[in-house]
Amino acid sequence: MSWRPPPWLAGVALALAAFVAVVSTQGEVGINRDETVYMHHGSRYAGWWIDLVSGDADASDAAITKVWGGRESTANNREHPPLVKTLMGLSERLFHDQLGWTDEVTGYRLPQAALAALLVWLVFLMAWRVWGLAEGVLAAALVMLMPRPYFHASIGCFDGPIASLWFATIYAYWRALASRRWQWGVGVVFGLALATKHNALLLPGVLGLHYLWLAYRSEHVASTGPWARRLGQALRSTGRGIVRRRPWVIASLAVLGPLTLYALWPWLWHAPVSRLGDWLGFHLAHVHYNFEYLGDNLNTPPFPWHVAVVTTLVTAPVVTLVGAALGTGVLIVRARRGQATDAERAPGLLLALSVALSMGPFFLGSTPIFGAEKHWQPAMASVAIAAAVGLVWAARAAATALAALRPRSPTWLPQACAVVVGGLAVTAAAVETGAAQPYALTHYNALAGGAPGGADLGMNRQFWGYAARGVLPYLRAHAPADGAPAAPVYTHDAQPAWGYYLRGAQRGATLPRSLPDSGSEWSRGIEKSTWALVVHERHFARHDYLIWQAYGTVAPAYVFRVDGVPVVSVYRRPSP
Amino acid sequence: MARPWLKLLPAAILVIVAVWEVVRTVRAGDDVPGDAAWAEAAAAVRARHAPGDLIVFAPDWVDPVGRMHLGDLITLEQAGRMDAARFGTIWELSIRGARASETRGLTTADVISYGGVVVRRFERTPATVTAALVDRLAGARTDGRRAAGPSVVLAEVGFTPRRCVQVTPAPDASVRVTFPAVPLGTTLVGYAGLADVFKRREITAPARLDVELDGRVAATVTLTNASGWSRFEVATQPGPRDVTIVATALGAGARDRQVCFAAEARP
Repeated sequence: MSWRPPPWLAGVALALAAFVAVVSTQGEVGINRDETVYMHHGSRYAGWWIDLVSGDADASDAAITKVWGGRESTANNREHPPLVKTLMGLSERLFHDQLGWTDEVTGYRLPQAALAALLVWLVFLMAWRVWGLAEGVLAAALVMLMPRPYFHASIGCFDGPIASLWFATIYAYWRALASRRWQWGVGVVFGLALATKHNALLLPGVLGLHYLWLAYRSEHVASTGPWARRLGQALRSTGRGIVRRRPWVIASLAVLGPLTLYALWPWLWHAPVSRLGDWLGFHLAHVHYNFEYLGDNLNTPPFPWHVAVVTTLVTAPVVTLVGAALGTGVLIVRARRGQATDAERAPGLLLALSVALSMGPFFLGSTPIFGAEKHWQPAMASVAIAAAVGLVWAARAAATALAALRPRSPTWLPQACAVVVGGLAVTAAAVETGAAQPYALTHYNALAGGAPGGADLGMNRQFWGYAARGVLPYLRAHAPADGAPAAPVYTHDAQPAWGYYLRGAQRGATLPRSLPDSGSEWSRGIEKSTWALVVHERHFARHDYLIWQAYGTVAPAYVFRVDGVPVVSVYRRPSP
Repeated sequence: MARPWLKLLPAAILVIVAVWEVVRTVRAGDDVPGDAAWAEAAAAVRARHAPGDLIVFAPDWVDPVGRMHLGDLITLEQAGRMDAARFGTIWELSIRGARASETRGLTTADVISYGGVVVRRFERTPATVTAALVDRLAGARTDGRRAAGPSVVLAEVGFTPRRCVQVTPAPDASVRVTFPAVPLGTTLVGYAGLADVFKRREITAPARLDVELDGRVAATVTLTNASGWSRFEVATQPGPRDVTIVATALGAGARDRQVCFAAEARP
């Protein structure tokens, strides 16, 4: 008897492939503004934990405040929970400082890559267990092969990780509906999501609505009579369902979730209520950064209701979106016919609610939109799974049709159809994702017409200043020779990253010391500079004009482009 | 099975979409000319360019590339122009079928493409300018409570560069800038807007710009965060007259309203 690999091995292989791919390509992605903050504080958080465990630190409020908080709303980055930052700091300490396996920036970014791999693994598991191996493989591949999410998996920020831990909570909850072991795990996983980013606060909405539906459905008996009586019966049956179904899941989420957050975030230890309030308050009153959308610079609500829809339509792979539309239709039809898979736990509804709650706030017109698709990235796991369902259904339908048209068709026809349809879809998604890197925030999908199409549409070009990485080779080539006077650079939005480039924190992105940062706009950095960068976002146009006046020319020396679209301009002060 | 080919349709659509997406993605940017084409087009423009010619690029997003190749022929005054009316010759360099707003309504047969960079040369009778307020600020008189200005600056208004007189009235106050004995023609054409994207984000209260001729309000423009660079035009009697621009920050919350204006007297 020959050995057949267990199906879950496919998921493991895809997760490993995702980890290797992200780690091997992230080095091309420039260091972004926010990432520098998280790297800095991540190292401090990690150091604090190590000191605490080794007995060199105490957990007094004063000691904690020095590292984790402070009076200002952004003191020690207390406006964001600590899990990913702490992991970043520990990872850098281990893989860069101690083992020397990675450069400094890669060391910080490994946890994000690992969490991206976790997402691939969990998406595979859920799609495989509910719909089948082909669906699992395709869903796992498609969730990784999305240009913007792949980018966010590559950097030391929270948007990739929260997408992973959001889905991990969804998965754990789904498992908990049929497993005593998982009903405690789900609370811990939810706590990890809370400790990652505030998107997790929407998860109780997803899980609560889903649980209410299951509770209602499990106990509901059709009744007649006045609507008030029917409503009363529905409420009573839902109440019975809540208690009878899996009440410990609710307890786990309500108790272990917050406890996990509390345990991982020392800033909460001495004043949990007020400091949680500060955290939430910061995000409820978050400033609206400038963001270009369909030709308008948006920085004040109300924002168009369609931002999430349109942005997703022009950034996700088109074939994935078409597949997802098809798959959603298939799942709805199956549910209406009573043919839904795992109907007891209603996974399709769970995934739909995950999309609705991820994207829902952006229909309000008042939720900050400055990060575009990264804000609702948790929705994309559902999109990938729906796409996989759609692709497999289409392939099977094609195989059935071909068999009917040609009765003596080969027995491997269904597999061949799946390989052709699924393979081409994965190829298209991979091409989009590959083409987008490492400047994925400039990339728009085939529907938009790539980066030039996105620029024509007036969509945001980039943010965080990470694209300055693209002009480093030019600056290096024109750096002063050894012994010559330094040539200070007005580094614009790349200023926070400049120190990392100067000290060689990222392999292949090292700048010579003769190109120091000249300072900010407000410290006369432009006037003091020999070179000046402008990172092209619509609201940054004023930096061009400031430089024109200081340098007396409107001509940049170099324009770094992505598919022909200007991303960063470099000006050189004319010789006197 | 009735009409089995219908069941092939979803897979066929997915296959077609996938193939189309691969081709379109791989070819994205192929129609955006590279530096060689731009250099060729720039050389053609340089060969016939005369001082005072205006050079514009389309679409807007390719402007940095155009300036990299021809920016030395664009003065700060041209880049921050009030409008294009005073330019008799306009060179438009465009890609992907785009057109510049400065050449809207103009026609030319002088069109050559250099590897996708289309160079169009437009000739027309330029507007004669008898006086530009930005050039006369030194002789102007200013009254009223103000936080800053007036001064001539190159400001960002509506995400475009504008060389203008900028004045910041105190909240709920007016500032009068009087330009004495301006040699007017038959029209006074001007533009105004609110500078600085960050101030436009922080402050929602509008401002107002009144144009007074010999003490009489001849035009009023309301300036909001969305109004950009707004045009006004006033019929005038030829001859020297006092022109007063009144910038008003509307309301107590109207702090830092950087009112930016320019106007030209035309015969």
